[in-house]
Amino acid sequence: MISAGNDIVALKAVDIQRTQSPAFYSKFINPQEFALYHPNEIALVNFVWLLWSAKESAYKYLKRISPELIFAPAKLVVQQLNIPRPSKVAENTGYYQGKLSAGSTTLSFLSTMSHEYIATIIDQGDVHWKVREIEASDYESQSKAVRDFLLDDLKMPDITVGKHPSGYPVLIKDGKELDIAVSFAHHDRYISYCYQIPK
Amino acid sequence: MDRKEILVELKKVLTPYTENKEMLEGINEQTDLIKDLKINSANLVDIIIDAEAQYNIEIDFDAAEKMYNVGNCIDVIAEKINKPA
Repeated sequence: MISAGNDIVALKAVDIQRTQSPAFYSKFINPQEFALYHPNEIALVNFVWLLWSAKESAYKYLKRISPELIFAPAKLVVQQLNIPRPSKVAENTGYYQGKLSAGSTTLSFLSTMSHEYIATIIDQGDVHWKVREIEASDYESQSKAVRDFLLDDLKMPDITVGKHPSGYPVLIKDGKELDIAVSFAHHDRYISYCYQIPK
Repeated sequence: MDRKEILVELKKVLTPYTENKEMLEGINEQTDLIKDLKINSANLVDIIIDAEAQYNIEIDFDAAEKMYNVGNCIDVIAEKINKPA
């Protein structure tokens, strides 16, 4: 079964001071994961939200496969994190890559980071993804904008976005669910989608 | 503190994180924080930290995972409040 999972964190919308408090990040980052943090490579705030977005992406990915799954970020454990070279970070062209385990399942993730946001996808198979800034930050605007963003890019006629009873998004044509796994994310003024079409 | 009193205080904790103030006013134990109140998942840890401060409790890893709807939040908070020191 194909799946898709992504997340986006708008860095201007998070509480920087709170993020850096062990009382905050220790709720979902265990000591083994915190050992992956190297201050000369990545700011603590970015590290914390990078791990969060990897876990959130993994949850969305796995929820499609196991609909009964409950979001438990502490049970999704980041095992490996590769930081791009500093020159790539400066150009915003480098990807942060890593591996994360959920029980016996291991997933790869891929993140891109700017001063404005951290966007992550689960990098399993041929995943297409994009990020966009929007004008409004209210929930309804975010939700509509990210759906329109995907549908515009897919360029497939008469497709609508529906919701599976478990809560994940599905693409529908002529009343039937398409075999395309999609995932949406939005936070503040940033939206992102990813999708995967079976080969 | 009974469940009704915890619910009243919990509304105050949730207020900064939802745009849906009307729904917040009418929440019940089945209300889902993300699906119903449209709370961004990035704020779930904020809610746990704020709840810790509001009730003077500590919510650990395992308990935090259960806090996805209002009833579960009340369960966790009630258990921590009533835990003997």
